[in-house]
Amino acid sequence: MLDSHLPDARLPHRQPINLAEAGRLAAFVQAAAQLDLHTKPGPQLASLIHSIFEAEAVAIFDADLNQTYLAGEWFADPEQSVRNICVFETVRDDPETGVIRRVLRVREMPIGALQLRGEITPSTSSTIATLIAITFDRYHSLANEMRMESAKKTEQLRTTVLDSLAHAYKTPLTAIRAASSGLVEMGHLSAAQGELVALIDEQTELLNQLTTRLLRTARVDAQALNMERVAIAPMIDDVVAAARGQLGEVQVKVSVARENLSILCDRSLLQAMLMQFVDNAAKYADVGTTVTITATELSSAVVLSVHNRGPAIPATDHERLFDRYFRSSGAVSRASGTGIGLSVAKQAALAHGGDVWVTSDARRGTTFFASLPAAPPGVQA
Amino acid sequence: MNRDRPIRILLVDDEPAIRRALRTPLQELGFHTEEASRGEDALHLIRVQPFDVVLLDINMPGIGGIRTLERLRAFAPRLPILMLTVRDEEEDKVEALELGADDYITKPFSIREVMARVRSAVRRAQTPERPEDAPIRIGKIEVQPARRSVKKAGHPIRLTPKEYDILYYLMAHAGRAVTYGKLLSSVWGAQYREEVDYLRTFVRQLRKKIEDDPSNPVYLVTDACVGYRFNEEIPRIRRDDPHTGELYLPVT
Repeated sequence: MLDSHLPDARLPHRQPINLAEAGRLAAFVQAAAQLDLHTKPGPQLASLIHSIFEAEAVAIFDADLNQTYLAGEWFADPEQSVRNICVFETVRDDPETGVIRRVLRVREMPIGALQLRGEITPSTSSTIATLIAITFDRYHSLANEMRMESAKKTEQLRTTVLDSLAHAYKTPLTAIRAASSGLVEMGHLSAAQGELVALIDEQTELLNQLTTRLLRTARVDAQALNMERVAIAPMIDDVVAAARGQLGEVQVKVSVARENLSILCDRSLLQAMLMQFVDNAAKYADVGTTVTITATELSSAVVLSVHNRGPAIPATDHERLFDRYFRSSGAVSRASGTGIGLSVAKQAALAHGGDVWVTSDARRGTTFFASLPAAPPGVQA
Repeated sequence: MNRDRPIRILLVDDEPAIRRALRTPLQELGFHTEEASRGEDALHLIRVQPFDVVLLDINMPGIGGIRTLERLRAFAPRLPILMLTVRDEEEDKVEALELGADDYITKPFSIREVMARVRSAVRRAQTPERPEDAPIRIGKIEVQPARRSVKKAGHPIRLTPKEYDILYYLMAHAGRAVTYGKLLSSVWGAQYREEVDYLRTFVRQLRKKIEDDPSNPVYLVTDACVGYRFNEEIPRIRRDDPHTGELYLPVT
């Protein structure tokens, strides 16, 4: 069977594949499938095409990594021209020079380009381009997966370190608190001595609260979801009880849409989230005001909100407030904090397929919201 | 309580700094203290010396606080044992309370808190057992076990039978943390130990009937992640921590 060695650009789909080329294509498919995708497949693919199809020269452009891989001998540097194929989407074969050009596509999107010089039919060239595109796509998803895996490991390590550090702090904190409070109990302190002991006490308590928050954060990060049906009203009671220390003299009002309102969620994560909101409200509430916790029922979600009267949070900070380590400019001078808590609340809501947001102005005060879907994704209610 | 001799405390903690910080002020304030750095040593000391109360760290090397508690309990069923814990050790606290610890104190604690807890535990241990049907009055709340009736400030309150059982159990154990599991098994039966949400719903109803402000309870308080506690003394001023007992004043 004789075939034209030069591809006919006018009749790209009419061209029959010769048997030898079909065999090469099969060999290429097999080789591409066996590539070790822990390293970039570009260089290997270029050299495979060069050797299997006996192409004179091969250039592959990976737009994602912005890299070009070459094999064989090019007369002019193909670097720019292969990039242009991707950018301008020029699929033009050149019978004069035997140069073939293909755009690499994944789900219609151009992700790179192939430029060849050799005796390969247009349809085989298109198939080669498709195979390269699939291989690139597999490589990128594997790389993404590995990045996420390693991010998770880093996160776990960070969590473990935080946890052990926070625990290690508890012993000296306990000794200091027992010693300073012991001094007070034993009495006979002068006014100045009493003042200094009170200062030690106060700062120890501050350090203790920071440590506790840190521990709580570490726990939330480390958790896998454990979904169960949780009654909202008693859950809020629990959180308020646990937050007594932070609330001090601040009063709390609870308003729940209906008495037996419940939601499918991870109890401890949801508690941690609400705890952050209540903790935050307690920190910024004006003296003598009431913090209001509300649970509203929408058709497809439950919205929990915590409102306090206090200074407004600048609108520019509303989004970033939920980022780790971010603290609003007003917050730094007003209350102690790690800048971690609200990011935990956000993570907790996101883990449930929900979201968090805040509204704040000087007149109406500040309200933190969390919406939680009534039927979380991936879970049968 | 015998006022003539000091309360004898056995202090068990593996951290020398904590023993030192407790020993110095407690001795100065009239308590007698002995120390052990491990559970094993505590078990030995308890056999050769009398104590009124044990402060037992929950997290120690060796046999650890929980196993020590179990063995102490087997040897001295009525000896008050207070666990020293860190805030996030909820599961350990629950286990300790169910194994018979009288209460727990959260680190870091103040000496005043330790003294209040020690005195309260010793007083309870030395109080003769109350007859089953003797009325209990705490603050404005009074229960009459003989008639299963409850009054608040002299006015009768209508409770369902289960609400009454919960209230009676908690008031009979006033001042102590009662775990969800213990309360559930004593009111509903052991097979209901896990039905915490069920219990929470009942407690919510109960609070509406006995508390002035059910959102900010002063009698029936939640011991976060552990259980409930009926306050022994009712605060006139709201306090952060139901444990400290610092500003608790009886309601008149």
